[in-house]
Amino acid sequence: MSKPQSITLHINDEDHDVRVQTQQTLLSVLRDQLYLTGTKLGCNQGVCGACTVLRDGVPTRACLTLAVDSTTFAITTIEGIVPADDLLPIQQAFIDAAAPQCGFCMSGMVLVAKSLLESNPHPTREEIREALSGNLCRCTGYTKIIEAIELMSTRSA
Amino acid sequence: MRYCCPTSIEEAVAILNTDEDARCLAGGATLVAMLNAELLSPSTLVSLRAIADLDGIRHTDSGITIGAMTRHAVVANDQRLNNGLTVVRLAAQEIGHPAIRAVGTIGGAIAHADPSADYPTALLAANAEVEVIGSSGARTVPAGDFFQDYFTTALAHGEMITSIHLANADPGTVSSYFKVARSDGDFAITSMAFCGNFDGSTCTAARVAVGGCASTPLNVTAVDKMLIGAELGSDQVTMAAQALADACDPIDDVRGSADYRRLLVKRLLPRVLQRAIDQGSN
Ligand SMILES: Cc1cc2nc3c(=O)[nH]c(=O)nc-3n(C[C@H](O)[C@H](O)[C@H](O)COP(=O)(O)OP(=O)(O)OC[C@H]3O[C@@H](n4cnc5c(N)ncnc54)[C@H](O)[C@@H]3O)c2cc1C
Ligand code: FES
Ligand code: FES
Repeated sequence: MSKPQSITLHINDEDHDVRVQTQQTLLSVLRDQLYLTGTKLGCNQGVCGACTVLRDGVPTRACLTLAVDSTTFAITTIEGIVPADDLLPIQQAFIDAAAPQCGFCMSGMVLVAKSLLESNPHPTREEIREALSGNLCRCTGYTKIIEAIELMSTRSA
Repeated sequence: MRYCCPTSIEEAVAILNTDEDARCLAGGATLVAMLNAELLSPSTLVSLRAIADLDGIRHTDSGITIGAMTRHAVVANDQRLNNGLTVVRLAAQEIGHPAIRAVGTIGGAIAHADPSADYPTALLAANAEVEVIGSSGARTVPAGDFFQDYFTTALAHGEMITSIHLANADPGTVSSYFKVARSDGDFAITSMAFCGNFDGSTCTAARVAVGGCASTPLNVTAVDKMLIGAELGSDQVTMAAQALADACDPIDDVRGSADYRRLLVKRLLPRVLQRAIDQGSN
């Protein structure tokens, strides 16, 4: 083990000073040091998408991102998009469409949906499927997740 | 494990040459997954993220140069990669899914040299040149010499990739890429790339590369020659496809058996040719 280094990460509009090892992923810092456990640990291999965060607005795997290599980016986790004591419209749409089951994949799904709808407010079903293609869900069969995004799209003018 | 983030190529090369066990860190899509699985433990990671000279696609009089740190998503969307170079754009579009294409780089993908990956096969068909630099200077390695074995390249100790150069193709050149995978976003079971020319439906020049069927992507000169003068749908194409399948040396793995891969090679050749003709007429 090497000596930990002090770095500053920009997460959810706040600066966080943390001490990390070079090989430590952003995911491990988020969950184990900052207790931002909304970001999930699934495969730790880049396959499942449970660890999705936004890096400068772009959905990114926190398990494939080294913390030391992340200091210049604005990181947004699921905790960072939620207004205090409230839900985002996209989260309400997920609830109204009955999209969540166990919920494990949901922070990744919601962040991908948010990022998609910001750049493309009225995506086609094909575009939604493509955007979600890197996020696995073992419960829902995806249909209601796609419907939630379509619902959100019809609700925004 | 040390981390450094140099801002120039010279600085990066200097670190790679002072530290025996240093490794480049590009997008991290493969490297960090390997660190997580404890398959690797380099002494130093040299992040290439802050070296502006490695990023982006440049047009020159002789062709197109893609910087080693250029993300898959950028290549996938660059419409200037057309005609004989469409194959490179199509391969980039096939890599993983959006979150992987947003971080993975062409330099990282070819340095890793997975024979089932998409870029190596496409770059071999496009006859790309890999620009590398080390302590004794820069050199150019043709794609055909760059991939040497499973996960093994011509990079010498202390060398890194700076860019990939694609020479302008002859006028009228068309190209295409065809990948068969278990699911969207997985590595190829077998893939095929083509660059060449047609007169109507008769092939007049060909360079075919196969991925996932040997320790490196494969180009067989004798097969390219057999295709010249061959008309799509003719026995000559079937014979070339058989010769190509015979030249492959695939393995049985979780994605498919060796026999299945040889069968795919025979089926893919006519399709990749048809796709190239269709692309040319669009
Ligand atoms: C879930 C998932 C799905 C994927 N699906 C596909 C797929 O369908 N098809 C496909 O082709 N690939 C796929 N990949 C691999 C992907 O393309 C990676 O982006 C790529 O293999 C590595 O690129 P990177 O920039 O992330 O490199 P890194 O992971 O940072 O580095 C990979 C290796 O290259 C070395 N390296 C990096 N840059 C240089 C350089 N400039 N000079 C010398 N050495 C260098 C590193 O030291 C390391 O050994 C997938 C990956 C994941 C995680
Ligand atoms: S935990 Fe990161 S992709 Fe599965
Ligand atoms: S709701 Fe359970 S994994 Fe998606």
